[in-house]
Amino acid sequence: MALDPDQIGPEFYDELRRHYSEEEIVELGAFIGFNIGYHTFFGTLKFYPMFSPDGRLVSQDESARIYGEKPASLEKTDQTADEFFSIPP
Amino acid sequence: MHIEPLRPEEIRDAELLELIRRCEELGVPDSLFPRILARAPAHAKALLRALLLSHTEGNVDHRLKEIIRVRLARIAGDPYFGGLRSAQAMQAGLDEETIAAGSGKFEDDPRFTAAEKWALRYAREMYLNPETVDAAFYDEGKKHYTEAQIMELGAFIAFHYGMQAFARTLGARPLPRNEG
Repeated sequence: MALDPDQIGPEFYDELRRHYSEEEIVELGAFIGFNIGYHTFFGTLKFYPMFSPDGRLVSQDESARIYGEKPASLEKTDQTADEFFSIPP
Repeated sequence: MHIEPLRPEEIRDAELLELIRRCEELGVPDSLFPRILARAPAHAKALLRALLLSHTEGNVDHRLKEIIRVRLARIAGDPYFGGLRSAQAMQAGLDEETIAAGSGKFEDDPRFTAAEKWALRYAREMYLNPETVDAAFYDEGKKHYTEAQIMELGAFIAFHYGMQAFARTLGARPLPRNEG
């Protein structure tokens, strides 16, 4: 949906129906769309998680060091959707 | 349509029916997208409430939001939301020429104020060149809008773009006007 929406046609939805009800597909689609929209917006605001992975309340500067200055949502990619979501060996 | 909408008579939740009525009255969305969402009723109610609130309430001109919304649909490649029009915005004087101008070379267009041009750039760059929406860009926005208005615009852009990205995959098209 985010990287290659033309791939999502009737066959894709038929495949989804083998695994999920139509209610679940709508729930997933809306959730994904919501995240596509909001993560890029949040990325432009340059804010970072309030807590470190071990649960400490940290400053925004420290959080940026921990989690990375540039969110993945702002990275341009030439990868295909399959490459983007593949799990490294 | 890759997910069939529920038929009107299959929807019995009064709150959901009222939200669909308000969507039809506004024209954005028409009843098609809400009746698809209605397959997940709890989600449908939250999403439709947010679509209506972000588009029609707040302290940013609804006509400007409508121009932005159509621009976003074109960026998302979504003919469904791109083909819909807000009756409220059109009744307030918005016309197709201005909507088209907002999707074109608006930078030198005298019909838009400096504030409106910043908002149009905000929508255009958010998903085409998000790396340019940086601290300097927001500083420029604060010359024209309060922080509350910028958050209202940003959240509106993010939410509507997200729903357009989803609608594109559904293969949806606007209903003929009399089917609302």
